[in-house]
Formats: sequence, C-alpha cells, structure tokens
Amino acid sequence: MRRLFIVLGFVAAVLALVIAVTPLSQLAFIPGVAALVFALIAFYISRRKQYPKKSIQLIFLLSLISLVLTTYKAVFTTAQVGNLEELELKEEASMEDSKELLENLDIKIEESDPELIETEDIDGWESQ
Amino acid sequence: MKHLFFVALLLFSSMHFAQNTTIAAGEKLTFTASYNMSGLMTDIARVTMETGKVTTSKATLLHLKCTAATFTKWDNFFKIRDLYESYVSPSSLTPYLHNRDINEGSYFKFMQYTFSHKTNSVKSLMRKKNGSGVIYDKNSEVKINSGTRDIVSTIYHIRTLSIHKAKPGDVQTFKVIFDNEELVISVRYVDKETIPTAIGKKECYKLALSLQNSTVLKGAINDNLLYLTADANKIPVYAKFKIAVGNGELKITSATGLKN
Repeated sequence: MRRLFIVLGFVAAVLALVIAVTPLSQLAFIPGVAALVFALIAFYISRRKQYPKKSIQLIFLLSLISLVLTTYKAVFTTAQVGNLEELELKEEASMEDSKELLENLDIKIEESDPELIETEDIDGWESQ
Repeated sequence: MKHLFFVALLLFSSMHFAQNTTIAAGEKLTFTASYNMSGLMTDIARVTMETGKVTTSKATLLHLKCTAATFTKWDNFFKIRDLYESYVSPSSLTPYLHNRDINEGSYFKFMQYTFSHKTNSVKSLMRKKNGSGVIYDKNSEVKINSGTRDIVSTIYHIRTLSIHKAKPGDVQTFKVIFDNEELVISVRYVDKETIPTAIGKKECYKLALSLQNSTVLKGAINDNLLYLTADANKIPVYAKFKIAVGNGELKITSATGLKN
C-alpha cells in the first residue's frame, strides 16, 4: 500500500512539475495537490510502520516546487500579446487593397433620416 | 401569417430601415478571450473591435475591424493572428466589402466578399493553401437574400437593435454569409442582468444566440450568450460560447471612443 502511494505521488509530482513550466501551468494545481495528498498518506503509513521516508520527502519537495512555481506564474505573470508587426502589416495591406476595390464599387449611402429613426426603427422582435 | 411576419422581419432588418445611432468611427473595444481547459478558464488571446472612417471618391464608409492575437505564452504552441473586417454604410451598417484573413498555427485562409445589393449577390474570393503549401485562389458568385450581411457587420448590427422594445423571449433572426454559405443567426432577448466587468458594474441586455442551420454552436439555449450594456452604446461586455471542442468566454478589458 505504501509503495502504491509513493509511486502515485512520484507520478503526480513529476506531472505537476512538467505542467508548471508550460503555458498550461494553472493545471499543475491538480496533480500538485494530488501528489501532496499521496505523499501525506505514504508518510503516515511509513511513520506507523517505521519505514524509511526519504522518497516521500522527495515527493513533497517536487510537489512544493511545482505549486510554488504555478502560484508565482498565476500571480505575477500578466497576459501580453506578442509580436503584432505581421498583423499590422497585413491590416495596412488589406486597407490599401480594399480602398482600390471600394473605388470600383457602386456604393449608394442612404442618409440618416431622424424621423425614420423614431418611427421605423421597429427592428422586428418576434414574440415566441 | 408566420411567413408574412418573416418577410416583414427581413425587410425591417434590411439596410433600408435600421439606422445606426450607436456606433461611431474611433471606437475601440478590447477583450480577453478565455478557453476552458480541464475546468479552468485560461486566457488565450486578445480580441479587439475597432471602427474607423474610410473615404473613397464616392462615399465615406465605416471600417469595422476585429482582430484576434494569442498571448505570447501561447505563440509557440498555437499562434493566432486573425483579421476580420468590413466596410459598411455609416448609417445603416450595410456591408459593401468584407475580408477575413485567418492565420492559426499552420492554417491559412483568406475570404473576401464583395456585396452587390442591387443583384442580391456576393462575389467571393477564397485564398487557401493546398496540401503542398501552394496558395491558390477560388472565385465564385453566391446568391444571397436581401439583408444578408457578413459576420462582422452582423455583430455591429445587433448593437443597433432597439432591444429596449423587446420583451423577454422575443427573437430576431439575421442572415449571415460565412464560408460562402448563408447561415441564419437567431438572437433571443433573455432579460436584463447586472454583471461586474473591467469597465465597471453594468446593467446589460442578455441575449441568447443560436445558429439555425449550422452545428457550430453547441450546448443548451443558454450556453451561447452575449451581454450588451443597457445604455445607448450597447457595448458587448461579456460573451460565452460553446463549440464542439469546448467552451470559452470573452470579457471586455477596455472601451474607448464611444459614441454616446
């Protein structure tokens, strides 16, 4: 039983550490907390039966590192947009192309009629 | 009677009657898009909605531009740089030209719609990468119904609706051309609700959206919601959606250059 919890603890702690360094770091809380729980159970069994606790201490250490890292990233990392130069160039090029196209279109803009706004802005909501 | 009402609805939602007293050039709305990953909402991208003025020799048009860009931490995994834009009539938001430029990871697609409202048709240009990475063009002409808009002008058009006249449960439908197909978007007014947002606590019109002839939007009737502020600007402050691969939400972070 003790061995099972140690194995589960190790797997969860390593998984938490791996996830903690990826952009999905928030998800590391789940395996991190699970690793702590497994380690606590294994620690309790080991203390009762006088078994060595070195491996359990390692699980505690790994899961704590992952949880601290995850918390740090969640608190101090602000979401920032990366390089938008490509998008801005695309926007400019698109604007130029669109202007050319619009010049060749037959556009008739209807002028706003204030009376029309009051009387005919019915929209057409249909009761269900 | 039902058909008669449908025809009347089409007429009312067409370009001739609806007037824009909500949106002006110079407006900029910024949102954070989040996606549900294993139960945790994770911020993945910044979405902006901007308006501007474009002058040609014939007319002055309103330029509606929406962009989406993933946050830096996601760029190495799945980089998104999308541009959706429409050139519309400033008074009725009738679209004349629509561009959709999608760059998502290795996926690229460009769609351009040139509207001809006299002939109720759209000239469509699709630019895509084939299997070997070569970009090719495909031109086609799509027949549309009167009042059909593109996706961007439809979103802005929803903001110009007289929602204050609607009763909870009332529905409006809109025809939208997307990927050369005409979709029908149904907008149901749910009720008013006050929600906290980054720009303050706002009383909002809660609208439920659904697609009548498409399976893109999933979930129950209240899984795809749009909250517009219950004021003259009708700013979209919050939206939540459910699609085949999960669910997400859009939250406003800033709003500048508002008309009212």
